[in-house]
Amino acid sequence: MQRDVGSLPLSPALRARLLAAGFQTAQELLETGPCGLSKEIGISKEEALEALQVVRQECAGDAAKAAGGSGSTRKCTALELLEEEQAQGFIITFCSALDNILGGGVQLTKITEICGAPGVGKTQLCMQLAVDVQIPECFGGVAGEAVFIDTEGSFMVDRAADIATACVRHCQLIAEAHQEDDHLKALETFSLESILSHIYYFRCRDYIELLAQVYLLPDFLSEHSKVRLVVIDGIAFPFRHDFEDLSLRTRLLNGLAQQLIIIANDHKSAVVLTNQMTTRFGQNQSVLVPALGESWGHAATVRLIFHWDNTQRLATLYKSPSQKESTIPYNITVRKWDHIPRLFRSCDAAVQPSLCSCQTDGFS
Amino acid sequence: MDWDQFDLNPKVIAALKKADIKSIKEVLNLSGADLQRLMKLSSADVECLLKTVSRTLRKNCMLTALQLYQDKDCFSSQCQKLSLGCSVLDDLLKGGIPLVGITELAGESSAGKTQIGLQLCLCVQYPYRYGGLESGAVYICTEDAFPSKRLHQLIAQQHKLRADVPPEIIQKIRFGNSIFVEHAADLDTFHNCITKKLSLLLTRGMVRLVVIDSIAALFRCEFGASESVLKARYLQTFGAQLHGLSTRFRTPIMCINQVTDAVSESEAVQYGYRIQDIPYEIHTCRNLYWFLYSTAESRVFPALGITWANQLLMRLMVSRVPQPETTPGAVSHHPASLRTLRVVFAPHLPPSSCCYTVRLEGVKGIKFLDEMTVNTICNKCHLFWGEMNGTSELDFFHCCNQQ
Repeated sequence: MQRDVGSLPLSPALRARLLAAGFQTAQELLETGPCGLSKEIGISKEEALEALQVVRQECAGDAAKAAGGSGSTRKCTALELLEEEQAQGFIITFCSALDNILGGGVQLTKITEICGAPGVGKTQLCMQLAVDVQIPECFGGVAGEAVFIDTEGSFMVDRAADIATACVRHCQLIAEAHQEDDHLKALETFSLESILSHIYYFRCRDYIELLAQVYLLPDFLSEHSKVRLVVIDGIAFPFRHDFEDLSLRTRLLNGLAQQLIIIANDHKSAVVLTNQMTTRFGQNQSVLVPALGESWGHAATVRLIFHWDNTQRLATLYKSPSQKESTIPYNITVRKWDHIPRLFRSCDAAVQPSLCSCQTDGFS
Repeated sequence: MDWDQFDLNPKVIAALKKADIKSIKEVLNLSGADLQRLMKLSSADVECLLKTVSRTLRKNCMLTALQLYQDKDCFSSQCQKLSLGCSVLDDLLKGGIPLVGITELAGESSAGKTQIGLQLCLCVQYPYRYGGLESGAVYICTEDAFPSKRLHQLIAQQHKLRADVPPEIIQKIRFGNSIFVEHAADLDTFHNCITKKLSLLLTRGMVRLVVIDSIAALFRCEFGASESVLKARYLQTFGAQLHGLSTRFRTPIMCINQVTDAVSESEAVQYGYRIQDIPYEIHTCRNLYWFLYSTAESRVFPALGITWANQLLMRLMVSRVPQPETTPGAVSHHPASLRTLRVVFAPHLPPSSCCYTVRLEGVKGIKFLDEMTVNTICNKCHLFWGEMNGTSELDFFHCCNQQ
């Protein structure tokens, strides 16, 4: 970027004008922009744009050479990839059963999809992840920030504040138990206000706004390099009406999936999407399946399906490249998403006569 | 679309005009490769075009959660809600109905849904500091005629219901003038109503509440069993239109829904409704009636299925409490018929419920002892108990007869 203007591969006349106008390094040229440049040295806007493109390519080429890369593709061995993946962080949810079935938590650089019927807890888990991604490293978190793209309007900031307060308290309890300096130091900056200020909220009202927002995400993530989680709450909602042409929808969704995969990889963040359920009519019966069609099923790396079994909420890991399919029960408590210990499974009513409040109250 | 005002390379602008692309939507509907082919531009140019177009559409769109949280006094604050006119019901809903999104109220007939809808139409007209939105309401009837006699009764008794509001303020509000009643018995009329009349009233700022009584009636007769795909498409379109209006004008939409019987346990369970045979028994002690009522649903769940449920922000269910049989020898109280209002799902509320009665002046909630929370539900029979504070004619307790 500090390259001298005289060494750039531009036409000599143009170079002379640039030097006469006082430009010395490539950085100054790029900062001025095409309009400013065309005014300063008296060339047309189009010529200015082409000149800047050449400058950019040169600088990119220099940077690539300096980094030792061989152009746009990167070669590495499977061992390097394995080591990289094992060193990859997870976003822990503080719900140990869920973290276990996911293999440690929501994985960075992968797309995780959460499907479920309305009211089952998808938005709750997304809000909890947006808070948990910010947990400092000494407590086992990734100390990142979160982007929350809301298409349905279901992000209630008061609920997020409750979850954040509970998370801070949880970390305070851990710090009290362990009494280590770095825990206490990390807690100084880990507060309700700091957590909320690092959740970047975007509201997209239709699929065009969502597509536009995803086009702008790479630049946003480059500016806010600490972001480690991108949540899109309601990927299905904007795409499930308004589309006579289903092939257009499939194409747009595929493009979206590709962009999200690139974003997840390039910026080392986890992408979490929530999806609705729809009914599919089989031969004898109807089943609930994730919405948006079969081809969308390939977009996510990991798929979690939330459903009910009588009165108990269950989470099933439906698709994962590394973990086996399993189901856990979970609860949503006032503070946050929580798993329940084995004893209190409510389908197993015989275990819990002591929980019956009426007996302890002594009514006849 | 005037492409010249965008900060783009003139060659890109010329290509856009030549390819006859007229809007941002068309640009974003095409993939990068398609744009390159169509406009004969390089991939770098196309990427720049997409980013510039996206930036124009989405400038100044970012908020942090902290800004949302601290925004309590502002007009666009999230914590502002439409009050129901009763402090007990507002406490259940943590303030009232959220301003953006579709809220559903489902229940059996004569559970009190229309009463709550009418009460909301009056509450919306109060000033902001009393929980209203200082604006009118649209009431769309799809089945019965509008209950105007009951509305006038409610208007006459507002001072009794809203004891928290000074009477001179109540006097000044012309309640009847700001409620717009529409009748829409079929889908086409309903569609017309939403797209033309409702948009007009909302744009002019004359209404800030829409009550649809009931959404199920539109769909239950017109579609046979084999037309479920068409029905789903209509539901999604209407849901999206209502949602769009609600977001644009920050207007709550209250949809009243009917209930349907669960054909099989597995079907209902899919949607999260628990079916249980709830045994109940009446005991008398200390000259009080003991009532038992359940928080779990009996055998009904809201109509219109999962397609409609996906469009909702919040779902509330109302039901009547089963009436007790009189036991001989006890002091006979004739309780006012009791109803329960239950939060089925909401992004900001736990599953909870409260009781209410329908009186002359409107719907009033009944408050329980503070220690009654979801945790005191007996996990075996799903019954909870409570007692009314203060002076009231009803006290009820629960005794689980399961040992």
